Amino acid sequence: MIKRTLFFSNKCSLTTKYEQLVIKNDTQIVKTVPIEDIGFIVIENQETYISVPALSKLTSHNVSVIFCDNKHMPQSMLLNLDNHHIQQRHFVNQINATEPLKKQLWQQIVKLKISNQAQILKKLGKNNSPLDYYASKVLSGDSDNREAVSASYYWKNIFDFNFKRERVGVYPNLFLNYGYIVLRAAVARALSGSGLLSTLGIHHHNKYNAFCLADDIMEPYRPLVDAKVMEIMKNYDEQDLITPIKLDLLSILTQTVYFKDKESPLMVALSSTTSSLQQCFSGKTRKIVYPNLWN
Amino acid sequence: MELNKYRVMWLFVFFDLPTETKKDRRNAQQFRKNLLKDGFTMMQYSVYMRHCASSESADAHEKRIKALLPPFGKVSILRITDKQYGNIMNFWGKVIVPKDPSPMQLELF
Repeated sequence: MIKRTLFFSNKCSLTTKYEQLVIKNDTQIVKTVPIEDIGFIVIENQETYISVPALSKLTSHNVSVIFCDNKHMPQSMLLNLDNHHIQQRHFVNQINATEPLKKQLWQQIVKLKISNQAQILKKLGKNNSPLDYYASKVLSGDSDNREAVSASYYWKNIFDFNFKRERVGVYPNLFLNYGYIVLRAAVARALSGSGLLSTLGIHHHNKYNAFCLADDIMEPYRPLVDAKVMEIMKNYDEQDLITPIKLDLLSILTQTVYFKDKESPLMVALSSTTSSLQQCFSGKTRKIVYPNLWN
Repeated sequence: MELNKYRVMWLFVFFDLPTETKKDRRNAQQFRKNLLKDGFTMMQYSVYMRHCASSESADAHEKRIKALLPPFGKVSILRITDKQYGNIMNFWGKVIVPKDPSPMQLELF
């Protein structure tokens, strides 16, 4: 189901009445929105007031509420701990997943990520043959790390200027980071909706990372953000993360992606991916379902 | 925006409910509150409407209303597309007022 995204950059108060989110500014009610229609809320203004009942209703509808820090970067999100009716069983399956299964899944993910990166380069009219070659050579568990080799080629070639991809780096790293955080929140939301634990990854296992599985699953989707950032760089001269750019990055959530027999918005596609992952863990299938990012 | 492609629907609920006895009034009030809880907004007394992002979501809300029906009284549900809703004419006195805007997928506050 396609859900609405609300972005709060002005001072408001958020309360609830009749299962609706009531949005007030200083003087009057601006709007009421049915909570079940909401998918994502980004709260950026540091003076926003949100009531606890509103938070609890939002959580119970699996709305991902993303809070930003004083530099306007997404910092934390709400995650529902009781989302799926047989969550306990899914958690157990996930914890007991065998090493070979995890390696196979990681192989699928890396392969797809590289070929999606190759597609972008191809669309930009750049040489993508090394990436196609790397994609065909990914081993189980990506044991010889084709992911890193491809990434280094990819980042060297995607922009027309000298670029270094960094967590905290110069333009356009900031745009990329913002897009990835939004994507990651969306994946974490879909995972918890499918009754999976986003902390327990299949490849990522940094002990300081609470979203390892989300980081695993989002890999093949990352090029969608990259493509959007390229588009933004073409449309804006601005090098700072201004609000229209943030909105553009948020619109990734509804971008159309293409399955074999149907097309759907990204946020719906993510649920298909995570539910197929859940079936992998419970032994019904061994393949994660990913859409084509472009047709 | 993207949302339109996925066949946006509007649901209308019209009702006439008896208010003779205390019980009737209570039923009527409950029904009205349940509509509000389901995300309907009042257009006029006893006319409520709701935006649904897709026909599947409209199905779900129709089903929910069927389960909430009061024991007596008349209730009608009408479903139209966003395109058809666009032709609505609203008058306040003799002044024509624009229709409520359809919610966007991404909103900025």
